[in-house]
Amino acid sequence: SPPDSFKSEGKEIKMARSAKTALVLCLDVGFSMSNSAPGQEPPFQQAKKVIQKFVQRQVFAENKDELGLVLFGSDNTKNNLAKDDQYQNISVHRQLMIPNFELLEEIQNDVHPGSQQADWLDALVVCMDLLQNETLGKKYERLNIVMLTDLNTPSSPDQLDIIIGNLKRAGITLQFFLPFPVDGGGSNPPHGGKALSREQQQGLEMTKQVMMSLDEEDGLEEVYTFSDAIEKLSVFKRVEKRPMAWPCTLTIGSSLAIKIVGYKAVCEERPRKSWSVVDAQTHQKDDIKRDVVYCLNDDEETEVQKDDTIQGYRYGSDIVPFSKVDQDQMKYKTDGKSFAVLGFTKQSMINRHQFVGTQVLKVFAPKDDEHAGVALSGLIRALDDLKMVAVVRYVYARNGNPQLGAAFPCIKEKYECLVYIQLPFMEDLRQYSFPSLENNKKYTPSEDQLSAVDSLIDSMMLVEEDKDGVKKDLFKVNHIPNPQYQRLFQCLHHRAVNPSAPLPPMDPWLTTALQRPLAVATRCQAPLEILKKKFPLKEVVKKKELKTSKELFGNSCLGTGRSNQIYLYSPSYITMQVKA
Amino acid sequence: MAQWNDYHHEDEDVDGEERDESGVDYKSTGRDSLVFLVDASKEMFIMGEDEEPSPFDMTMQCVRSVYTSKIISSDKDLVALVFYGTEQSKNPRNSFKHVYIYHDLDLPGARRVQDVDGLRGEKGAQVAGETMGSGNTNLGEALWCCSNLYSDIKLRLSHKRLMIFTCRDTPHGGDSERDRQARTKASDLKETGVVIDLMHLMKPGGFDVSLFFCDVVSPPEDEAELGLQMEPCGKLEDLQKRVRAKEMKKRSVARLNLCLGEGMNVAVGVYITALQARKPNAIKLYRDNNEPVRTKTRLYHTQTGSLLLPSDTKRVQVYAGRQIVMEKDEVDVIKKFSDPGLELIGFKPMERLKLHHHLRSAVFIYPEEEMVTGVWSACVNVFALCKYTRIRNSPPRFLALVPQKEEVDDGQAQIAAPGFHGIFLPYADDIRTLDTPQLPTASESQVDKMKEIVHKLRFKYRSDAFENPVLQQHYRNLEALALDLMAPEHIEDLTMPNVNMIDQRLGSLAQEFRDLVYPADYNPEGKTAPKRKPAEAAGGTEKKPKVEMSEDELRGHVQKGNLGKLTVPVLKDACKQFGVKVTGTKKQELIDALTAQLTK
Repeated sequence: SPPDSFKSEGKEIKMARSAKTALVLCLDVGFSMSNSAPGQEPPFQQAKKVIQKFVQRQVFAENKDELGLVLFGSDNTKNNLAKDDQYQNISVHRQLMIPNFELLEEIQNDVHPGSQQADWLDALVVCMDLLQNETLGKKYERLNIVMLTDLNTPSSPDQLDIIIGNLKRAGITLQFFLPFPVDGGGSNPPHGGKALSREQQQGLEMTKQVMMSLDEEDGLEEVYTFSDAIEKLSVFKRVEKRPMAWPCTLTIGSSLAIKIVGYKAVCEERPRKSWSVVDAQTHQKDDIKRDVVYCLNDDEETEVQKDDTIQGYRYGSDIVPFSKVDQDQMKYKTDGKSFAVLGFTKQSMINRHQFVGTQVLKVFAPKDDEHAGVALSGLIRALDDLKMVAVVRYVYARNGNPQLGAAFPCIKEKYECLVYIQLPFMEDLRQYSFPSLENNKKYTPSEDQLSAVDSLIDSMMLVEEDKDGVKKDLFKVNHIPNPQYQRLFQCLHHRAVNPSAPLPPMDPWLTTALQRPLAVATRCQAPLEILKKKFPLKEVVKKKELKTSKELFGNSCLGTGRSNQIYLYSPSYITMQVKA
Repeated sequence: MAQWNDYHHEDEDVDGEERDESGVDYKSTGRDSLVFLVDASKEMFIMGEDEEPSPFDMTMQCVRSVYTSKIISSDKDLVALVFYGTEQSKNPRNSFKHVYIYHDLDLPGARRVQDVDGLRGEKGAQVAGETMGSGNTNLGEALWCCSNLYSDIKLRLSHKRLMIFTCRDTPHGGDSERDRQARTKASDLKETGVVIDLMHLMKPGGFDVSLFFCDVVSPPEDEAELGLQMEPCGKLEDLQKRVRAKEMKKRSVARLNLCLGEGMNVAVGVYITALQARKPNAIKLYRDNNEPVRTKTRLYHTQTGSLLLPSDTKRVQVYAGRQIVMEKDEVDVIKKFSDPGLELIGFKPMERLKLHHHLRSAVFIYPEEEMVTGVWSACVNVFALCKYTRIRNSPPRFLALVPQKEEVDDGQAQIAAPGFHGIFLPYADDIRTLDTPQLPTASESQVDKMKEIVHKLRFKYRSDAFENPVLQQHYRNLEALALDLMAPEHIEDLTMPNVNMIDQRLGSLAQEFRDLVYPADYNPEGKTAPKRKPAEAAGGTEKKPKVEMSEDELRGHVQKGNLGKLTVPVLKDACKQFGVKVTGTKKQELIDALTAQLTK
């Protein structure tokens, strides 16, 4: 499978806090990288895109990983090993450093295909030398070299064993990115591409040899094609947050306690940074001050000092002065964290559409406490067998607001846990009744109409079985990265390196990822047409609704600067409405 | 409500847009209003069998609970309380006989709640007798009087409802002239958009709606609605349920098109049926007169002191030391993907919807066109997957549209509405990778013992059975302050486990389970690892002296780009030390602020 990331990004989140990676990108800029079949993007352009996408990811992740860039096949030579006619046309473009926008700009503007060729094994040695020299005396969790090449230069295999030995000794890992797949090459290229040259075939054999000797089993999995990599790297990867453990004690009455640890398992992820407001001319935050003034509700709008105001609350028509001190003294207090069982109820009594809150917790026993593990497992399995849930009082911390929630049993192949979700309070519910849809004299769908809908549903099923009876989901929402942040980072990146250009259009892959899968869209055409005929369609747009939305959105178009004059009046227009 | 977030300071930049999910905009839609028109005839004061409260008493309890719930959850709604069939009259100019306006159409407040309390119970009946008495009935006059209440209001009213509480099916005792007059006035009211409901109460011999009231009340929203066939209420609980279902106007958050395919748009209504009620924000009052003050926020230029328009500002984010600048409307438009609406992606078997796919309260989606009703009927064991764009510039979310069939209770009141629940589905970013511990599992005997415990503590969960103690306490406090009570009314905290009852029910089971799972020397309540104790608890151990960082040291960190290695408290101290103003408390924000200051 293609890489979801370069090795710099730890796949496990249990990495030590200081863990960082040193990584050298080793890019072949030799002249053969510019050759391509007509209509195809040259390998150089593809490889450059891979690097750009990766560096961009690293820049926005703002971690401590360090990155170097070595070009080979370049017109110039710049490396420590160059001597006489050795290690020529290999240029260390950037030493190990935390990547930044300058690097992105350099890659965009200064990295061009060269007119020379260099041995990729020589380049590998330069990278190893760079890594070893610059990481000396410092701690890194991983040293990695990423080789991007078409393997189209003759290499001398006599040094191969020594190089492999050195890689192993230094603990350096390798990844290869090639224009062709590692297994589909040979003399019969799969997609009508060019057949591999003799050099490439030889290079591929050596690549396999190196990778297999570093990791006998999975070595070849670290050899990727450019196109797969571009696709995968287009997704801005979220920065993994270390899950925060919430240790607590589950209690049932006063005499039964089980030690637990809760973790947020599902929660709407928000970007780490927010926008700050700056002066339009100077772009300085400090040039702007926000100032809040208080004024009386009289005709003169008399200003009063903040010190002359007190805190109060509305109680219906009453306005009740209620100082912070009094409030703190009189408010509801909780004395500490809690996960206390109130009782048990049938799972069927809990309606999932009544879930409230903004998170799902998974509750385990502490990892070093097998007794708690057994006790909690007893509860989980009992609940699972009985199809029941625990209704619990949950308090995050002292003086946190208490919640009511359900703890569901969850038994997976690899672990067991309780899944905690908040339930509503009486005040949170709105009991609306709606006109019946069945037993409705005005409209009941006919058999004919129902069968049309049935065939539409059949044609639009997103989960299907393949030949081997394996179910395949064509549209997994939980595999789609949040499009809001993908778009945000795309725009941030674009604006960072092109400050005066307008924002770019949406990435096509993102648009596609949010649409009905092509296979389904094609399949449902005919049933949709039939449905259209069976149901009379009417476009219901009520005047009132239009007006409301205009009122609602009216002022949002004012910020565009199209009409400053309207804007000037709008704040008082808003306050007038509030006053009314 | 407390969120996990509150404690990690992660949640400061919640988009305002997402919070306003309640979507009720009074500015553009006007106020809701509700008039309680209550029969005060002698029959209303007759106690039921088995000490059941009288119809009048039940009505007052209902009115009270509506008053308090309006104060908590819809504090802009207007409510009035009017009695008919009284001896005394009280209305403007006293032009209507036997009509007593107890409360004008206004916001309910503490005093009003207290007033209604005064009319409850035996003592309340006495008070009612003394102030209003029971006399002739002229419902026509009463309805006319109510129509004046509405017309006297200067505010724009969006929804007008009038509820008649009575236990008499022939209020005028066969006086056909008065019956006719009442019907005329009722139809006048209905013509001005007032919805009239009948909350008929138990009457010996049964309440016959067809004798008179069928012509007074509004026709049901839909012919299939069972409004009139409903049995009279004999119990307070039923009456409250019935009133609650009617008192709030269902208001859609949005009316959107559901797009099934190209050019196939059908209308649906989107409603909120569960939304966390929160303590309202405090308001600022002028110390001298306790009147609310208005706050005005101004932006001005620090150097020139001139006021700035929002167009004089831009937005920035800093990444890798570079400031990235955008216009305010660019920031907004980045969030736009498609026009507001629902877009059908396809269908999935029900089992693909996982329990833990929960991000926020679900929405309710009601079909407004036949084609959607068709889809609703045909959705069996499948859910529809839709892309949901709530308003312009709101990024898309995916909803699982889960069909719900209608359910009614014994009294023919709807307990589950027909339509779809829209469950918000998490994106990849929203699901966290957890490091799951490998632990031994329980044996059959251990599980069986726990089953006995579970069995002992079974109860029937009802979603409306638990009040929010934080909110209730807050409002009791305000009530006490508004009414100058000595102490707020006591609240019962239903979220607290009844430990005594649990212990009693479990008896020896708890010990037996403990013996089965824990070794003798194991203390499940003890600390696993010695925790750092707060200074006081540790017997006044000295606070670790703060290590001040030299400017050079800090500059060194900035240049090497490894400020991230420092802890948040150290960064905060450094900010203080070098006078760096920080708006947020996130680590990245601290780092950015320091970097900006020291690279100037």
